[in-house]
Amino acid sequence: MDEQTRKKNIRRTALIVTAVALAFYIGFIMMGVMRS
Amino acid sequence: MTTAVVDGQAAEHDDHGPTKGIKRWLFSTNHKDIGTMYLIFSLLMFFTGGAMAMVIRSELAVPGLQFVHPEFFNSMTTMHALIMVFGAVMPAFVGLANWMIPLMIGAPDMALPRMNNWSFWILPVAFGILLSTLLMPGGAPAGGWTMYPPLILQTGDAFPFLIFSVHLMGISSIMGSINVIVTIINMRAPDMSLLKMPMFVWTWLITAYLLIAVMPVLAGAVTMLLTDQFFGTSFFLAAGGGDPVMFQHIFWFFGHPEVYIMILPAFGVVSEIIPTFSRKKLFGHDSMVYAASCIAFLSFIVWAHHMFTVGMPLTGQLFFMFATMLIAVPTGVKIFNWVATMWRGAMTFETPMLFSLAFVFLFTIGGFSGLMLAIQPADVQYHDTYFVVAHFHYVLVPGSVFAIMAGAYYWLPKWTGHMYNEKLGKLHFWTSTIFVNVTFFPQHFLGLAGMPRRIPDYSVQFADFNLISSIGAIGFGLSQLLFVLILVTAKRGEKATDRVWEGSHGLEWTVPSPAPWHTFTTPPKNRIADEAFD
Repeated sequence: MDEQTRKKNIRRTALIVTAVALAFYIGFIMMGVMRS
Repeated sequence: MTTAVVDGQAAEHDDHGPTKGIKRWLFSTNHKDIGTMYLIFSLLMFFTGGAMAMVIRSELAVPGLQFVHPEFFNSMTTMHALIMVFGAVMPAFVGLANWMIPLMIGAPDMALPRMNNWSFWILPVAFGILLSTLLMPGGAPAGGWTMYPPLILQTGDAFPFLIFSVHLMGISSIMGSINVIVTIINMRAPDMSLLKMPMFVWTWLITAYLLIAVMPVLAGAVTMLLTDQFFGTSFFLAAGGGDPVMFQHIFWFFGHPEVYIMILPAFGVVSEIIPTFSRKKLFGHDSMVYAASCIAFLSFIVWAHHMFTVGMPLTGQLFFMFATMLIAVPTGVKIFNWVATMWRGAMTFETPMLFSLAFVFLFTIGGFSGLMLAIQPADVQYHDTYFVVAHFHYVLVPGSVFAIMAGAYYWLPKWTGHMYNEKLGKLHFWTSTIFVNVTFFPQHFLGLAGMPRRIPDYSVQFADFNLISSIGAIGFGLSQLLFVLILVTAKRGEKATDRVWEGSHGLEWTVPSPAPWHTFTTPPKNRIADEAFD
């Protein structure tokens, strides 16, 4: 795998994982909003 | 042959060493430097939290109020837990991950080195803020590490600082886990498939996914606490139509996986050490991976076993009881695999192996008391007693902390280039093991006899076991000074070989000792990853 592709993959994995973390954060606060 | 390739890589970068002075540490993007900083930070926090434990156990040595006000006692229990969980155990494992994961998978560094620097440097700020609350009007937070409302909302000036520091700890952990996942997924040596990864790398990959899922949940929960306190919301305030029990559900949705976040990397460390000193390959490597994955999955569906006494439907009680008991199956797979690895092995008992053996035996005791607590009708009796305190301390001290110690002794020669003092190491092991049991085993009896947790005074019927427990705690605390002595004198020992241990396998042992500042600048080409499985 060339360096360019590796960097692209690294960026993509990091973005996906960050999105998952944000989804959990916002999702649980929204759950609180809907229940209160 | 493989060593020659790696040695060559190390030599290529001799012209590009670390910068000198404080800048090396402040701006470092090198995984080894950052790993070292994490480990030193966690040791400092271990002694800070340990000092608080000494306050707690001194107060509880005899009935009556001795040294501290009850409010301060409550602050000590709260701060001790927060510091040990988020400041000592978790950063220690992140430190081990930083040091060892790139070396184990043949990567030159972590995938996102600048973010790695940030993940670390956020931590001292977070704990500086948390510790500063001890000096604030109203004192440090005293509502327990679980931060249940409405009690935690009675905290004085410290409240927003507590919330801010928990957010910072969460951000640091999330950034650290993003780095671990991205590194493992994208930077493994070309011939290292996922199932060929060492167990420490595997358990950390699973742990990082757990962190990504649950640290934001904790952040969400404390954000809602903050808005309840300062912005007029009523997420958890019954008077405004909110539900305080919802906080408990959200907290434990984070809190139970958090337990596995603190134990899965410990499983990984022990899975590296036992094969080395048994001179056999790890029994059932793949089944260990599947067992760790099962444990991680189950950790998401058992949270309400912490809340059996708040009241829930019978079906809920049954579900959470049986789901919790189910965790014993994959955990049992791991325990039996470690035993099978040792079976008929040419075992030797150096300090890392001693700590690992104690881990297997004593963690199992913590696991069994966990099974007792999983039984809903029994839990109604045990809930909020010292039995629970004994249970989770058996899991976290001779569990997580012993595994960290085992890992530190195991990899110390690779880090420093010198063998540590084995005699002192063994003395550290035996004193720690004896005193940890003297401290925590009597707490089972105290709990079964009905002594509640989080109280500064107690009925005289609990006096004897409390005194024994306090003597053990002070002995355990003093024993840890031996560890500091061993670390301080670590560079005085004989020179370590590259392989260090006769039975060791894996890429990390192919680099020189101490590991050069740069390693694997080009990925290892030989099939050396297979070595561990031959």
